[in-house]
Amino acid sequence: MTELLLYNARLLDPAQGRDETGFVAITGGTITGAAAGTPSTDLMTAAEQTYDCGGACLAPGLIDMRVQSADPGAEHLEGLATLLQAAASGGITSIVTLPDASPVIDDASMIDSLSLRANRIAGARLFLYGAATNRLKGEAMAELGLMADAGAVGFSNGTRTIMDSLVMRRVLAYCGMLDRPFIQHCEDHDLTAGSEMNEGETSTRLGLIGAPAEAEAIIIDRDMHLVRLSGARYHAAHVSTRAAAQSIRRAKDEGLPVTADTAPPYFMLNELAASTYDTAFKLSPPLRSEDDREAIIEALADGTIDAIASDHIPVDGDAKAQPFGPAQPGASGVDTLLAMTLSLVHREHLSLLRAMELLSLAPASILDLAGGTLGEGAVADLVLFDPQASWIVRAADFASSSRVTPFEGLPVQGRVTASWVGGVPVFRRD
Amino acid sequence: MTDTRAPGHAASGAMPATTAPPARLSSRHLLGIEGLNPLEINSLLDRGNVFADIIQNNDPFEPPLSDMLRGLTVLNLFFENSTRTRVSFELAAKNLGASVLNINVAGSSVKKGETLLDTATTLNAMHPHIIVVRHNCSGAVQLLSQHVDAAVINGGDGRHEHPTQALLDAMTIKRRIGRIEGLKIAICGDIANSRVARSNIHLLSTLGAEIRLVCPATLLPAAVDSMGVEIFTDLEEGIEGVDIVMMLRLQTERMEGTETPSQREYFNLFGLDRNKLMRAAPQALIMHPGPMNRGVEIDSATADDVEKSLIRTQVEIGVAARMACLEALAGVAGAS
Repeated sequence: MTELLLYNARLLDPAQGRDETGFVAITGGTITGAAAGTPSTDLMTAAEQTYDCGGACLAPGLIDMRVQSADPGAEHLEGLATLLQAAASGGITSIVTLPDASPVIDDASMIDSLSLRANRIAGARLFLYGAATNRLKGEAMAELGLMADAGAVGFSNGTRTIMDSLVMRRVLAYCGMLDRPFIQHCEDHDLTAGSEMNEGETSTRLGLIGAPAEAEAIIIDRDMHLVRLSGARYHAAHVSTRAAAQSIRRAKDEGLPVTADTAPPYFMLNELAASTYDTAFKLSPPLRSEDDREAIIEALADGTIDAIASDHIPVDGDAKAQPFGPAQPGASGVDTLLAMTLSLVHREHLSLLRAMELLSLAPASILDLAGGTLGEGAVADLVLFDPQASWIVRAADFASSSRVTPFEGLPVQGRVTASWVGGVPVFRRD
Repeated sequence: MTDTRAPGHAASGAMPATTAPPARLSSRHLLGIEGLNPLEINSLLDRGNVFADIIQNNDPFEPPLSDMLRGLTVLNLFFENSTRTRVSFELAAKNLGASVLNINVAGSSVKKGETLLDTATTLNAMHPHIIVVRHNCSGAVQLLSQHVDAAVINGGDGRHEHPTQALLDAMTIKRRIGRIEGLKIAICGDIANSRVARSNIHLLSTLGAEIRLVCPATLLPAAVDSMGVEIFTDLEEGIEGVDIVMMLRLQTERMEGTETPSQREYFNLFGLDRNKLMRAAPQALIMHPGPMNRGVEIDSATADDVEKSLIRTQVEIGVAARMACLEALAGVAGAS
């Protein structure tokens, strides 16, 4: 017997290439069937609960594969419950958090305890990356095996690249052995020492120290050699430059097990946004040139970049109310991930199905998570959204308690109506 | 006192030799040269000239000039050490009758931006009319200006701009040569870390000078050619036939150590001495915003050459240039 029947929906299933009006039946947290057309009267009456989707898009819930949580360590910025609920209201049914917390998530017991806490919260599911090195120092390898047993879905050195090639090689070898992907923030920190924004005409005019775009590709190129040595699955996070996209394209052509994601700022904005020293535009990696932005859109369209993540970072106003140089990089992202990605659909860079693939199917497959499909037997993590609904980004209205966004005041189209995790409603917009 | 005015420029007695009305700016603040139009720049230069005549004649400032800022408070807020700029602003403000308050927060442990805004809020409650700010972060002065009611003058922010230095440099050149337009000017040295270079590039090119930059490849900022300058990495080539050689201080405090191999080598390649200066035009003049690193970017014989060096005059003119800026913003500030 069906527990929940969602009908009158435009079904978007990137796994099956399905885009048609139909319905989805859910029982025991699992999709028991999805079909085109209108459910029969029998089906409707047999269902414990029915929900009229009003013709809106019903898709696998978003899987946000790059989120920073301020909890533990800086809960005053954003607690875990707020984060998971804010994600759900943004159509995100799973988030994967970086090990950058205080203390650093470099121990199996922390993965255990955070997972247990998250289970008691009605909101998105929580998955965690374990720290690749102790305290994220890039030196000694953390206990990757124990963390993998505790449920770490991958390993990452957070917002710091592992600069030591030998350490990097060993971490990749362990990731290969444990069959977990390694998630790299790609930045040659020696080359970007002291940098405050992207290097170019704008940095020169503003008198800010620039980070050259090459600092991103250099790390990917080095790492591709190490991937050949280790065979590990490698994922380049928040890719922001043309050079890096080209490096990834070459690696994929060679058949290396490499994937990549980017974040909305890198296809929505360029370095000129920082022209007034507005610290909402201070991000890591920094906003790049217009040519880089165009290259990121091309890479999303041609499959070089596999996924889009929010790169959500809880920052408080004080850390941004500073001169550009000392201001903290980062911005809130879970409230705007879907709308920003849909802007690429509205501008006809991507099809709606491709957008859904970037947001759910691809992260699921990179991290071996359930989701990304409406197929029978799939987990009933779903998002319902109206792709045309227009709204204006106002950080003050965010569900997230992190209220810094580079998209303030931007008119956008596409808004979440409801979301379900395991068939249970976790968000509904009234 | 050396007469630095152009030949033929009529020198008179106690009265100012030139007249010009107070300068007018379209903005409430003076945050940089970029964005000022030639009319605004020239109005500041012309008015500064009036003050420079008085200063160079050793005349006292009398009403109505000495009352222009009467009743106004000028606050010098320096987050970075400075002697000449602070003293220059202080003297300028006093010459115009303002009350001056110096707040030196450099060297203390409070260098963080939150302190910048806290300081701004606190000082704003004391209702100053004009705040002169120097800060080691680019953009910090602009940030502060958004949080105070006073008119704000940028006394130098990080590597970004130092507008009053560029104005005094232009005044110095104009008083000596009579024009800016068409001059060949080489700006030499640590371009990457220099706010003086950026302000001068904007100002001098706006007024029609031909700008060359001479610096080691490691101190050349990215895409700087987009600012309409010609780039050289050889000092002698770069100053070939120029009218003005503007040397910059090697900003060792903003460097992390690997930009140049050694001071000895730097002087050899990029330091100005009499020999290299031979390549410039015969009447070429030397400028430097100070403080100088003698024997690093310039040798003493060249720096102290009374025929060719304008370095002392620059300091003298600085007070006049800053008077013009303070006066231009005083109208707005007094009204608020």
